[in-house]
Amino acid sequence: MTKVTVRIPMPLRIFTGGAAEVVGSGATVGEVLAALGQDHGGLLPRILTPEGQIRSFVNIYLGEENVRVLQGLDTTVPEGVVLSIIPAVAGGAKKEVKGPARERRLFDLRARIPELSPGDAHAMQQQGAALVDVREQDEIAQGSPAGAHRLGRGFLELRVEEAIPDLDRPVLVMCGGGTRSLFAAEDLLRLGYRDVRSVVGGFTRWKNEGLPFELPLLLDEQSRERYSRHLLMPEVGEAGQHRLMNSKVMLIGAGGLGSPAALYLAAAGIGTLGIVDHDVVDRSNLQRQVLHTDARVGTSKVDSARTTLLALNPALHIDGHALRLDSRNVEDLLRGYEVVVDGSDNFATRYLVNDACIKLGIPNVHGAVFRFEGQVSVFWPGYPKDAGPCYRCLYPEPPPPELAPSCAEAGVLGVLPGVIGLLQAVETVKLVLGIGEPLIGRMLYYDALAARFSELRLARDPECRYCGPGAHFPGYIDYEAFCAAESG
Amino acid sequence: MATLQLPEPVRAHLRSVVRAGYPNETCGLLLGQAGPDWVRVHEALAAENLNRERPGDRYDLDPQAHLRAEERARALGLTVVGVWHSHPDHPARPSETDRNGAWEGWSYLILSVTAEGVPDLRSWRLRGEHFEEENLEP
Repeated sequence: MTKVTVRIPMPLRIFTGGAAEVVGSGATVGEVLAALGQDHGGLLPRILTPEGQIRSFVNIYLGEENVRVLQGLDTTVPEGVVLSIIPAVAGGAKKEVKGPARERRLFDLRARIPELSPGDAHAMQQQGAALVDVREQDEIAQGSPAGAHRLGRGFLELRVEEAIPDLDRPVLVMCGGGTRSLFAAEDLLRLGYRDVRSVVGGFTRWKNEGLPFELPLLLDEQSRERYSRHLLMPEVGEAGQHRLMNSKVMLIGAGGLGSPAALYLAAAGIGTLGIVDHDVVDRSNLQRQVLHTDARVGTSKVDSARTTLLALNPALHIDGHALRLDSRNVEDLLRGYEVVVDGSDNFATRYLVNDACIKLGIPNVHGAVFRFEGQVSVFWPGYPKDAGPCYRCLYPEPPPPELAPSCAEAGVLGVLPGVIGLLQAVETVKLVLGIGEPLIGRMLYYDALAARFSELRLARDPECRYCGPGAHFPGYIDYEAFCAAESG
Repeated sequence: MATLQLPEPVRAHLRSVVRAGYPNETCGLLLGQAGPDWVRVHEALAAENLNRERPGDRYDLDPQAHLRAEERARALGLTVVGVWHSHPDHPARPSETDRNGAWEGWSYLILSVTAEGVPDLRSWRLRGEHFEEENLEP
């Protein structure tokens, strides 16, 4: 029996008790290895395949010669020769490569993901299938199929369930040319959508075949950055942000309630803010009216508000009116606005605003504060889904002046209008976006000292002279003449 | 964590070799001594990269060079304790390809190399299915 020295590389020495060399015996390389396997359990499977071939990542040298170029395992071993087991050493950075890897992947995707023509996709969309456009913003700006969900590719998995909650609804994925949509389709299948298909030829072919598309309004880069936190939420998104930017909101008063509301509405991207306030900034306002500054004491509140709000958001359009609301101007001032935020502090104005909103069909976001307490509601008898009461349904006429002091007399915790004004701003944004449950038919009441919110149900008054069914608008009333306590 | 002692002269030599080979991957073997949780490198030998199809991001170390390295190690009373190779324009961490080709028990030193130089080098050791980073010491 021939005895040979077998050199063991370090990674295999765990099987030889750490020995770098072992002595083997056998007439051929194969026999030597087999004997070695007997003595050192675990070693042989590292060198030979289950079929008994030398593994591709192992080389065995007989002296200086690779046994592969000799007779392999059948190579006879002369006495005293050295067999070296040399592991193949290979690896590499494996960068992303164009060509073969991508092609292999696409081949695999095409084998698994059903494809359909743009025409068939359009027909399926008409029958209720969801069409998802996964192209980039700059591509979508050039046009996108009407009614498509423009979810993009990057946030697709995060946004798709909001847009398409039903996993059984067929989903048709479209990109520019029909390749990216395959990858996106695979992701959607993984999310659990059961019927996902990819549109062959993408939007290019869709357009060439004369299928309907639209040019979506898109945000510029700066707006995209400014409103990025809105855009991340599917409830707002690009369409919602556009709605905000095209909306017109009228603020009655740039005071305690109007200040926080205006700041946040401007920040949120409301397109046009109307502001009506006849007053000038007084030092005593600054304890709560955060639109204004010490340096602007004595100047018009509308001008002061404009300076502050434009510094915050230069894209904002401000329609300012430094005048007192009255029965002659109220309707003209409010006409054309989508939402009115009533931050007035007197009953005369509140009734004028209520009455004009009813006449014009505008939701009236009401807020009021008194010492440590505040209240918010949305008065909108014209709400299409579920008409609510107006302010007069609750209080048909103003109370006597001695029961209704303004802030000037009663005092108010400076922070409180911040809370209430912002609740008004939240309701305003919801109304503009058409999301959530508006505070219609409910009054949210906040007790700052108790730190407690409570909610009151408000019912419509069928006998209401202003918003009741069949009511004939009785005209505006200037209560100011008989309200004693008035203050800006 | 195991430690790989890589003296500065060896590092300097490796840096010049991988820069000379850029943009191709260069590879070779580490000769030294090994203890239970440490490896001390005495020499780094270069070997030819036999991969002709994709030398920019693959290497197949010439087994003949490997055999000679084993002989040299034995003659010096050392062991082939690991493998080094460069990642041109790529981080110094093991790829899936590296993992598939790796053996437990060796250190895998990777040098990231760019046109400007060698921004990073790190050493790794396969444990089961995963690479663990080794402590690099001079």
